[in-house]
Amino acid sequence: MWRVLGSSPSADKTWKVFWCRGRGQNISRVMPREMGPDGAPGQVVPWRKVLWEHQPFPDNYVDRRFLEELRRNEGIRQYRYWAVVKEAGFVGQQLSSVAIFITLWLYMEQGLLSPERLLLTCLLSTLLGYGLHQTLTPLTKSGCELRTRLADLQSATIFLSFTFGFSPVLKTLTESVSTDTVYAMSAVMLLAHLVSFPYAHPSPPGSLSLNAALFASVCLASRLPGALHTFAMLSCALLVFALWPCLLQRLREYAPNQFTGLCVAVCVGGVVGLASQSPGGAVLLALALGTVTLFCPLLLVRLQRHKDNIHGPWDEAEIHEELGHILHS
Amino acid sequence: MVLRIFFPQCCNQADSGLLVGHWMPGHDSAVVLAVIHYPFIPGQVKQYLQQMRSQSGVELSVLGSWSIPKEGQEHMESFLRDLSTIFPQDCWLQLSRTIGKMGFNCHVIYQDLNGSTTSCKAAKKNGKIKGCDRESGEDNEEELGDEEKMILIHYEQRKVMQSQLHPIEVPDTDPPSELREVFQTVARSRPLFFLDRYDDGPLKSTHWQSQGREASIIVELLKQASVPLCLLISWLLSKWTRICNFSLFNLYPLRFLSSKLSTCDQWSYRTEHMRTLSSVKPAAGHTPFMRKANILVSLLVDVALGVLLMSWLYRDNRISIIANALLPAADHVAKELEELLQWLMGAPAGLKMNRALDQVLGRFFLYHIHLWISYIHLMSPFIETILWYGGLSACLGITFALSLLSDMVALLTFHIYCFYVYGARLYCLKIYGLSSLWRLFRGKKWNVLRQRVDSCSYDLDQLFIGTLLFTILLFLLPTTALYYLVFTLLRLVVVMFQGVLHLSVDIINSFPLFAVGLRVCQPYQLAEGVKFRVLCEEPGTALHLLMEINPLKCSAVVQRYRVPTYSCYPKDSWAALVKKLFVGELIYPWRHKTTKSD
Amino acid sequence: MHQRQRAGALKKSSSQKCPEAPADNFRGSTKKHSICMVSDFFYPNMGGVESHIYQLSQCLIEKGHKVVVVTHAYGRRKGVRYLTNGLKVYYLPLQVMYNQSTATTCFHSLPLMRCVFVRERITVVHAHSSFSAMAHDSLFHAKTMGLNTVFTDHSLFGFADVSSVLTNKLLTVSLCDTNHIICVSYTSKENTVLRAALNPEIVSVIPNAVDPTDFTPDPSFRRDDRITIVVISRLVYRKGIDLLGGIIPELCLKYPDLHFLIGGEGPKRIVLEEVREKYQLHDRVRLLGALEHKDVRGVLVQGHIFLNTSLTEAFCMAIVEGASCGLQVVSTRVGGIPEVLPEELITLCEPTVRSLCAGLETVIARQRVGSLPPPESIHSRVRTLYTWRNVAERTEKVYDRVSTEEVLPLDRRLLRLRSHCGPVAGSVFAFMAVLDFLFLLLLQWLVPDRVMDVAVDATGPRSMWGQGSSIKLNATKGAANPDLFGE
Repeated sequence: MWRVLGSSPSADKTWKVFWCRGRGQNISRVMPREMGPDGAPGQVVPWRKVLWEHQPFPDNYVDRRFLEELRRNEGIRQYRYWAVVKEAGFVGQQLSSVAIFITLWLYMEQGLLSPERLLLTCLLSTLLGYGLHQTLTPLTKSGCELRTRLADLQSATIFLSFTFGFSPVLKTLTESVSTDTVYAMSAVMLLAHLVSFPYAHPSPPGSLSLNAALFASVCLASRLPGALHTFAMLSCALLVFALWPCLLQRLREYAPNQFTGLCVAVCVGGVVGLASQSPGGAVLLALALGTVTLFCPLLLVRLQRHKDNIHGPWDEAEIHEELGHILHS
Repeated sequence: MVLRIFFPQCCNQADSGLLVGHWMPGHDSAVVLAVIHYPFIPGQVKQYLQQMRSQSGVELSVLGSWSIPKEGQEHMESFLRDLSTIFPQDCWLQLSRTIGKMGFNCHVIYQDLNGSTTSCKAAKKNGKIKGCDRESGEDNEEELGDEEKMILIHYEQRKVMQSQLHPIEVPDTDPPSELREVFQTVARSRPLFFLDRYDDGPLKSTHWQSQGREASIIVELLKQASVPLCLLISWLLSKWTRICNFSLFNLYPLRFLSSKLSTCDQWSYRTEHMRTLSSVKPAAGHTPFMRKANILVSLLVDVALGVLLMSWLYRDNRISIIANALLPAADHVAKELEELLQWLMGAPAGLKMNRALDQVLGRFFLYHIHLWISYIHLMSPFIETILWYGGLSACLGITFALSLLSDMVALLTFHIYCFYVYGARLYCLKIYGLSSLWRLFRGKKWNVLRQRVDSCSYDLDQLFIGTLLFTILLFLLPTTALYYLVFTLLRLVVVMFQGVLHLSVDIINSFPLFAVGLRVCQPYQLAEGVKFRVLCEEPGTALHLLMEINPLKCSAVVQRYRVPTYSCYPKDSWAALVKKLFVGELIYPWRHKTTKSD
Repeated sequence: MHQRQRAGALKKSSSQKCPEAPADNFRGSTKKHSICMVSDFFYPNMGGVESHIYQLSQCLIEKGHKVVVVTHAYGRRKGVRYLTNGLKVYYLPLQVMYNQSTATTCFHSLPLMRCVFVRERITVVHAHSSFSAMAHDSLFHAKTMGLNTVFTDHSLFGFADVSSVLTNKLLTVSLCDTNHIICVSYTSKENTVLRAALNPEIVSVIPNAVDPTDFTPDPSFRRDDRITIVVISRLVYRKGIDLLGGIIPELCLKYPDLHFLIGGEGPKRIVLEEVREKYQLHDRVRLLGALEHKDVRGVLVQGHIFLNTSLTEAFCMAIVEGASCGLQVVSTRVGGIPEVLPEELITLCEPTVRSLCAGLETVIARQRVGSLPPPESIHSRVRTLYTWRNVAERTEKVYDRVSTEEVLPLDRRLLRLRSHCGPVAGSVFAFMAVLDFLFLLLLQWLVPDRVMDVAVDATGPRSMWGQGSSIKLNATKGAANPDLFGE
């Protein structure tokens, strides 16, 4: 049988045919040509999968137990469509956040939004968000120490003072660089932010994603007409890119239902906001949101069926234990 | 088993006699050093050899006999064989030569302890070496197991004696090679060669005759005469050293300055040379001798070149011409620099730089040039005097003049150096800051203890401030980099000029003129190895080879005998230099005292 | 079933004619082959593949075959060198890319390889190790030139990630028209058959071997006041050094007389050093650093237990060496390891810290009460299991079989590539095969085979080496070599 399979041109995936059929059938009917050591005992001994024993079989002998230990799709996870959609909502939400930020910047650049108003709004929403965050923080959470209010205040002071101090410098920073370059850089950086964002654990935000977003916002802010504009824009960026994901994570943990609603709200807000400035952009955003939250999960669930993973004794063993404690306890 | 006999060419024509030489243990070979002629008294020969042995430290012995048969000496054969009983040896050679034939006839007689003798004849029949015919009574039938062969290797005794086989240092662990031992044996048995054919002693011998006795007498006289000169120089040197060691000169600024001036370097270097030269003790061994000779020759050449330079310089009022040309030149350079800065402060080559920073940097450097011009003008009345006195230093050697020139160039381009340092420091700071902030940007940090990049979770405020600074530094980098680039190029021009000067000084200081001269005039004195030529390969005689000395390659001579100096070559490779330039580390043309290269 | 019986009977009759081992030299194949071993990995590099090639070549030379080895240049070691018994090694000037493996363009090595194959009159090309680009190149060119090919796979590979998907595809292409494949264990065979989509009948299992005379026990080196566990492996992730880092503190806290002796070097050394530092075990855990092959035995005989924590292993030579030195072996149950030693010589554990600790503890307990077999008996049990002569005999049979098979001509080779390797990769490599063939034609036109010199045989039936060498004194005219006088 094997000779036939091996030499016929249609026998691609020989092994597949082999392990599909080979289980029940007696495949040792066709004896391979003789080769290998032959100690030759008189009676038939069963083949054993050992090397240390000289067995009366040729070296290229194929037993019926060949590939017996092959296993397929071990430990596979079955996904449900709506659960995946819900998780993907976070991605859509982040996409919309970026869109909202860009919308705000567009408003600022065209002078439709004064920096004072933006600052005021930011301040109010920060206070609101901070209160919400505090209420959602459980009082007795073992493991990690809680940040004191003083530390929060300290951080806030640092943000504000540095941003305020540097905003005149930042204003002149990109003066000589052409506008297209700045836009391109910002676009790349925002894309990097979206790609490298740690969607599974957004709090604390990942270094690369946060830094890329801040870099982009500095680039954009430096194009605004005044130093105060720059300051307001940077504060806004801090709010959107650094603090908002922390709050969302809390919501996801302690109020999953509201979290879903909030995601939908942000998505809608992003699309509507962008539509007020550029309808084309809004359509694109809506398409992107639809793809990310609805189509991609569908694709994942559909493709799940075709998964075909082979396992066997040749696999590299994985170390499942957490061995870090030996060193860092 | 092949027996090898090294035979001096000068003994080819010698009268019959005894072969004196040395058996080399463990190599199956013998070096023939001389032939002691008939007639002799065996006792005297033994006594003479004893004496030579103690003088030279070579295990000299009588190896065998040498004969050129003449008419009426047919009984010679038995006589020669009898000689072997007078000078008991394990192995007795009988070499004889027939006039008109190229090859020698060789016989080896083995004497066992029990007195039985075996003789081996190195006569070939049908191209194959015949076994030995034994003369002992017991086992005539038995053939000797291993075939005995003999190679006669002719060597030129004078050349071998004078030549030095390279490499000189060999690891002690290996036993010396056979060739090396041959050379050593010949060189060490110099006392043997004092006695010659024309002496009126009881013994007469043939070997390399020492030539040119008159010349050696002159050399000897010169040696004697140089002793008081050496003493004088060393006395002067000791005074000089004492002055140098005054605590005043060891104060920080002076010492720092002197370590940076190449003239001071050259001065201390020459002092050291003079100290080496003026030591009264004769050089022991080949290497110190060559070193001394090289230093002496290079010193003489140096001074001669210096005097030539001086004679050119002090004629036709050339000094004042140079001095008058120098000031306008410096002014011109300053003006050019000013224009360059003005250009940089605009939009150089269409590059868009950060305007504010550009202006600040430009003004800062302009102020420096202003300072520099005033300094030059302050100096102008003294330049001619300085040049005149500086030119005098050429009488100490051209190296001094060149070093002085290099120092003057360094002083006159001090402004360029300053610009370079400012630019480089600023740039270096930027690069350093950017690289660490780039790590922060990616959420990594440098772990000093493990010398690697670890991942690290930063706080929000750290991230925020880091990114802010990163952005600012990134946008200001092109401006700084451009200033740095321009000034580095200027600096490189100066460094290259100084480098050329240093290189020429170093070549004069370290080039082994004496060794190269020796290589050119008497190539055999520095040997790298030997090569063999077949002299004759007739059936019936042993193989005759001529050993010729392979002289050391010229590049190897230079490499081996280079006088160690403070290296002035760039310490690091080109790649390292480019990297240094890229990172903004300072580059210097100064010699590195720590890396004294041998 | 009855067919197998018949085969058994056949074999019985044949073996009655020719009894056992040493006489085998004269039995069976009278045909002598000219074999070219190709791999990127060879001396001066040291490792399992390297010693496999060397030992196998030596045994094949002993059996009268002609063997040359082809590898890439290692530093200043380039050109042709001779090793023991006139084993000729070509160090070809090919650029090393990564991890001692050469870069490949599929074509640039053809002129050199052809030169070697033609000059040496090669009949069988035997490539080693799937990590070696040179081995795959040589297979490709050998098929183009119409030579028979054999490939030995020394390693295991997973299927789960992108890199393995790519490498498995390449292996499929490389092996689809190779005459025969040799694997070192049954697990390795299953793996290779799956990876390269092969007919299992053309895959033989021939284990590695160990020179038992190099690894003899000597209990006098053991210290009786302690129990020593020996670990000898490269300190890398695949060897399970993280597991070892977990085992050491756990057992050392429990048994105060337990000592560890760890030989080898690698990036995971820092894990062991940290463990040693944290638990203050400097006097009980000794890290010996990289060991030379000749020093391994000296370390092994100091121990009572040999521990192997590998996460994957095709055929573990280290445990055979350990057992050959009389040590009780404890190992993880991964890859081909369960096939290597009989149950009474090895304690198999799961690749977890807990299981390994439990296994070690039972062995320690048995050592305490003295119920372990003495080292000499373990050695005598192991010494006959794996010998290079046996490997060579079995490999010889593969060569015999291969030499009777036909090498696919170009048209059928192209068909096979297209049908066997999928439409895309198959077409691409079929195109490459055509290009390679054209390149070969060009080379043959430039320098025809018949004008190429035939290399002097150093080994094999008509070798110069074998005929008792007498050094003739060739005093050539002109300059002779001063080496005559030997340094």
